Amino acid sequence: MHTQFIRLALIAYALIVAVVYGDKDNNIRRPRGVSLAKAALYQPQSDGSWSCLDGSKRIPFVQINDDYCDCADGSDEPGTAACVQMRFHCINQGHQPLDIYSSHVQDGICDCCDGSDELPAVGCANTCLELGAAAAIQRRSEAELHKRGAERRQEMITRGKQLKADRVARRSELQARIKEQESLKAEKEQLKTNAEALETEALEVYREQQRELDANTAQAEQEPQQMRHEASLSFVRFDANKDGFVEITELMIDMDLDKDRNGVVTVEEAKYFLDERERVDLDAFVTLAWPRIKPLKMLADGLFQPPQTEEQAATEAPLANEQQEAQLEIDPPTNEHEDLEDEEEHYDDEEDEEEEPDVGVGEALPEFEATTETTTTTPNYDPETQRLIEQANGARQALEEVERQLREIEHEVKEIEEQDAKDYGVNEEWAMLDGECYTFEDREYVYTLCPFDRVSQKPKNGGAETTLGRWDQWFGEGDNKYTRQKYAQGAACWNGPQRSALVNIRCAVEPKITAVSEPNRCEYSYDFETPAACDSDALAATARAHDEL
Amino acid sequence: MRFTIIACLIIGVLINYAAGVDPTNFKTCEQSSFCRRSRKVQSTGSKYAIIRGTVNTYSDSLTADLINKENHHQFTLKLEALVGSTFRLQIDEKQPLRPRYRVEHALKDEPKTTRIRVQESDELSITVGTSKAVIHGDPFRIDFYENDVLVVAVNAKNWLYFEHLRQKAKAPAEPADGGDDAQQQQQENAEAAQPAGETVDDPGAWEENFKSHHDSKPNGPEAVALDFSFPATEVLFGIPEHADSFALKSTSGTEPYRLYNLDVFEYILDSKMALYGSVPVIYGHGPERTAGVYWQNAAETWVDIYTAETNVVSSLVNFVSGSRKSTPPSAHFISESGIVDAFIMLGPKPMDVFKQYAALTGTHPLPQLFSLGYHQCRWNYNDERDVTSVSAKFDEYNIPMDTMWLDIEYTNGKRYFTWDKFKFPEPLTMIKNLTELGRHLVIIIDPHIKRDTSYFFHNDCTENGYYVKTREGNDYEGWCWPGPASYPDFFNPVVRDYYASQYQLSKFNTVTEDVMLWNDMNEPSVFNGPEVTAAKDLVHYGNWEHRDVHNLYGHMNIMGTFEGLQQRDPNQRPFILTRAHFAGSQRYAAIWTGDNMAEWAHLQYSIKMCLTEAVAGFSFCGADVAGFFGNPDSELVERWYQTGAFLPFFRAHAHIDTKRREPWLFSERTREIIKEAVKIRYSYLPLWYTSFYELEKTGAPVIRPMLTHYPLDKETFSIDNQLLVQQRLLVRPVMQQGVSKVDVYFPAVDDKKNGDYWYDVETFQRQERTGYESIPVNEHKIPVWQRGGSIVPKKERPRRASTLMLNDPYTLVICLDRQGKAAGTLYLDDEKSYAYRDGKHIHVNYEFAENQLTNRFIGKPNYKSDAWLERIIIAGLERVPSSATITVNGISQQLEVEQRNGAVVVRKPSIKMDVDFAVKLNA
Repeated sequence: MHTQFIRLALIAYALIVAVVYGDKDNNIRRPRGVSLAKAALYQPQSDGSWSCLDGSKRIPFVQINDDYCDCADGSDEPGTAACVQMRFHCINQGHQPLDIYSSHVQDGICDCCDGSDELPAVGCANTCLELGAAAAIQRRSEAELHKRGAERRQEMITRGKQLKADRVARRSELQARIKEQESLKAEKEQLKTNAEALETEALEVYREQQRELDANTAQAEQEPQQMRHEASLSFVRFDANKDGFVEITELMIDMDLDKDRNGVVTVEEAKYFLDERERVDLDAFVTLAWPRIKPLKMLADGLFQPPQTEEQAATEAPLANEQQEAQLEIDPPTNEHEDLEDEEEHYDDEEDEEEEPDVGVGEALPEFEATTETTTTTPNYDPETQRLIEQANGARQALEEVERQLREIEHEVKEIEEQDAKDYGVNEEWAMLDGECYTFEDREYVYTLCPFDRVSQKPKNGGAETTLGRWDQWFGEGDNKYTRQKYAQGAACWNGPQRSALVNIRCAVEPKITAVSEPNRCEYSYDFETPAACDSDALAATARAHDEL
Repeated sequence: MRFTIIACLIIGVLINYAAGVDPTNFKTCEQSSFCRRSRKVQSTGSKYAIIRGTVNTYSDSLTADLINKENHHQFTLKLEALVGSTFRLQIDEKQPLRPRYRVEHALKDEPKTTRIRVQESDELSITVGTSKAVIHGDPFRIDFYENDVLVVAVNAKNWLYFEHLRQKAKAPAEPADGGDDAQQQQQENAEAAQPAGETVDDPGAWEENFKSHHDSKPNGPEAVALDFSFPATEVLFGIPEHADSFALKSTSGTEPYRLYNLDVFEYILDSKMALYGSVPVIYGHGPERTAGVYWQNAAETWVDIYTAETNVVSSLVNFVSGSRKSTPPSAHFISESGIVDAFIMLGPKPMDVFKQYAALTGTHPLPQLFSLGYHQCRWNYNDERDVTSVSAKFDEYNIPMDTMWLDIEYTNGKRYFTWDKFKFPEPLTMIKNLTELGRHLVIIIDPHIKRDTSYFFHNDCTENGYYVKTREGNDYEGWCWPGPASYPDFFNPVVRDYYASQYQLSKFNTVTEDVMLWNDMNEPSVFNGPEVTAAKDLVHYGNWEHRDVHNLYGHMNIMGTFEGLQQRDPNQRPFILTRAHFAGSQRYAAIWTGDNMAEWAHLQYSIKMCLTEAVAGFSFCGADVAGFFGNPDSELVERWYQTGAFLPFFRAHAHIDTKRREPWLFSERTREIIKEAVKIRYSYLPLWYTSFYELEKTGAPVIRPMLTHYPLDKETFSIDNQLLVQQRLLVRPVMQQGVSKVDVYFPAVDDKKNGDYWYDVETFQRQERTGYESIPVNEHKIPVWQRGGSIVPKKERPRRASTLMLNDPYTLVICLDRQGKAAGTLYLDDEKSYAYRDGKHIHVNYEFAENQLTNRFIGKPNYKSDAWLERIIIAGLERVPSSATITVNGISQQLEVEQRNGAVVVRKPSIKMDVDFAVKLNA
């Protein structure tokens, strides 16, 4: 018994000794585990009592840090593990002070660099001076890095601001041009109306003849209308987010568009259908995208038929305005396999064409009409009627040309607006990254990051590139907004979600990707360095805040 | 464990697998030749009799010859009396064509027999103490009595069915090699031409096909089947592993329960389909008597259950006939090969039977404390950085965690005993990062060996002939995670030794002696095999067919692992987790319920399944927290952690295709609820640890179904959504979505609805009534009560790992019964080594009566601990005492007392745990 009580008494003594200690620098006595800021709260009353900080209870001052939790808020045990919700304050002289969980106190693991969280028997070495020195070096080199990086960043800011100014200028220029084009359009519309009125009048003579044309012809006349109607319906279907545009991602989910049948609709494939654009509005969809999409949809629906032979073409649908349309109809195939191959070749050709430079907005349209003209069989009109028709055609073409240019301008405005909508940072320091691409290789893959655009992955041993995500937003927490980017809506995983990626950004003089991992299935993590992240002012502010602690 | 997409493609059942298991990939009884043959006897009955004059009695046993009166084949019967109200009945052929397989390694040692008294009057009977076996000669039947109550009747239904070994009949015209249908037909016809009784009239008798798989069955029909009735009981339970209710359901008109270790992907609930483990022990329970039968057979086994379920017809019949006694519950065990080797355990109380079974097959030895803490697993933690940062995050959020786990992806291409050097270049550093924080690492090592001539393990096995062989004598090659794989024949002691020796740090030097093991896929799982396992006509050590030993394969695998870990560090208790298991596997490993799903129903089945496992020896049981497949919502995660915290094995695990779900990835609310649940688990570690020590000593399960301690209360018989931790806690976790209350059953101790007091462990609010109570719950609430009359030891300072709590002080929670009394034990030791087996431990019983707490050591307290008693909490006192007095060796000191949260707290007794003391409450 005696030995028992004596041993306990010794433990208690050791604890009491540890209860109050003076700090060399501050000389303010306070219980173990209490920060200087809270020292004043730990003073005994004249009767030797002390109140829990939540006021819930009054206890003898000697019960502070006696390894038994008396206060509901745990405030009586700042220096032991007795109260589960308490924090222990390490002074860590020479390094940073630290508050640790009471569960980490006296657990045999040295959490404070000054070893104050453990009993001497554990033998924690005081590593604060070394750590402090190392941290100082680290801070200095980081500051140095930020300083050097900041010079680059300044260039990026200058350039970014210039880009923004250019966009503003370009935009107002374009807006002026839109006005011009619109009045031009009104003018051309008037000319067209006039020309068509004359044409209609002249053609009245031929109406009877026209009415005599067979059902095929009638049908064929409706076809442009029909096509537009179909295209509009498809547009609505594709435009999943109802923003009035069909985007690449909206096409990527339609497996009918998997041209190379590799199980994935790649960005490239989707872009092909959008005339190599990021997105198209209804008009552009009808004229540019739908003609490319429709054959594949028909193929998927089993409606697709082989191209007609020339003889067939000659005998049928003489007035077909849309040769392609006509090709897609009727005539049972003789050999499905062959048909498919033909079709593939056909598309290969088209693709090749599209890869040529200078294929701009609306290019397909005149080409389309040229085809139309060559294949249209016209009745024999008298010269005057013929002239009026040609005049009307000319007026129509002129209007279309104006409309095409207007669309082109509007498209550019939209692009500028999109760029404006992207957050290039407080000082436009990130703007220059838009349009750049960086790559990183690991054991199996080459990873690409095109900031503000997309991230992707390509197997080294061949195989298709997979989009891991498209630009979504800045994703840093709180004040650190510009330290992390999110890319979302990448290619869907088998039986899983759409891929996505987070890009963690750090300061460095040279931009590069330093690591890529997949911490979660289909969720990627990039570590990216760029001088755009080198903000020496912010760093200095952090350092000041740090010093004040 | 689980199938990847690739595996699915390999076996070409992609579509089926997308929507959970397709039951048609697994056999029904009707598709299994021996099952349908043996089941037929249920309509015809059989005619077996003891041959007069062949009975011999010995000091502890009796033998006799048995004859099948239909085909005159003779058998020998041996009935032994074992210590502890248990009999062993063995029936084998008298002169078998070849030896028949007898299970080895399942029993913990040769059972001790005991002296019998033989009485021969009208009938032959043998008596041991209050147990008696009465042997009827014709028709053959044995009735087992406990204290003159008939508790088990063997062959009461005459469903004994024993297919003797025979020569394959020769067809009149020897068919050419091969076996198209016509030829098969010929063979069958030829067989039918045999003398009556020599033939088994079933097309699958000598070979059978399932899906694309062919079973050559060179030994022909060799099934054994026997029925056991439990006349004094009302409910049957046991025979894990099934995803089914605790109480077994009648199989009349449905499939029998199947025992055949299988890798079932996304198993379905409420099903009698076989799962990963097979423990052929069944119990019958009624208010007066509990009895059990252990059917020791490692071949594929089906069990038909007949219970007196009240259906309209039977109740009408009973009403008309005036009979109040319906047919007693019974079980019909049907095995493909082997012998009849049945242990009949006569109870009489539930705990008696559980202990009788534990005396046969053993218990889980006291595990290291860390393994009772919280385990963090995922398929897969990707690399060293991932492991280290997940561990650090637990510290950042102050959530206790003891063990990080690595699934198959840590290996170099699924070559076990190697590391992926790219992702894990410095495993020793990574391990050190964990162990320095008091944590452990568990790595997976599966039994499929990659067939790769640059892999040492494969080369050793190939050169030395260590693999399981095909019928033709070649190394069997299946398909599993590594692609082409072979399977070591762990039945061969030389192979086991070789395998065990691989764990030596001199060989496997990229781990330390603190790294523990997970043996998965050891049914064995063979992706391209019949029913995703090995073919039955493979050949094992001793020339036994895989058919004979299938359910033991995993058992032999973990025996080797256990041996390896013990050799690696003889003074550290191994921790092993296994998926496949058989009777006796509990001596080596903990189990979990395999590849469950992140669904509420699966959460509910985690308790049902573990309760059944616990009474079948596997107290160390748990389910993948939050569900292996799928993405649980945050409410399910919260409730699953709360439930998992009160099952013995507490591990979070998730499939590789699921979203990450470490606690900090959820909202703050969910994170806090997870943290609370884990901390509650850690606060009860002294109770869990004490329970496991007492399991090792006595065989008493750690978690128990309600009927264990409330055998008279019939309502408890079917309760499987609440459980007891020993006889101290009643746990009824919230396992339904969006509920604000749960119905909890407070059981009666007698037939007058008297019950125990139950104290809410959080509020100490007392339940005094028996029956169902509706208990309000919020998202934080884990409905747990401590029984009035019990004392529970706790440690209320959860730390980042349990190993760091060794010296932390204890709290005793005393909940008083109606007489103001309570008692409870505490066990402690070094929590790691085998020193406890040399008595280096403290086992103490605390008793509270007459306002005084005293302790009484069980054995000598022979362990020096720095831990001490920090507080005593007493609930149920009528008055708050003014103070307390602690007396040690005649010297007294005053202690402060305060009222806190509905209970009285005695402040800081400050005594060491090995000291005799008394604490008296002062009025």
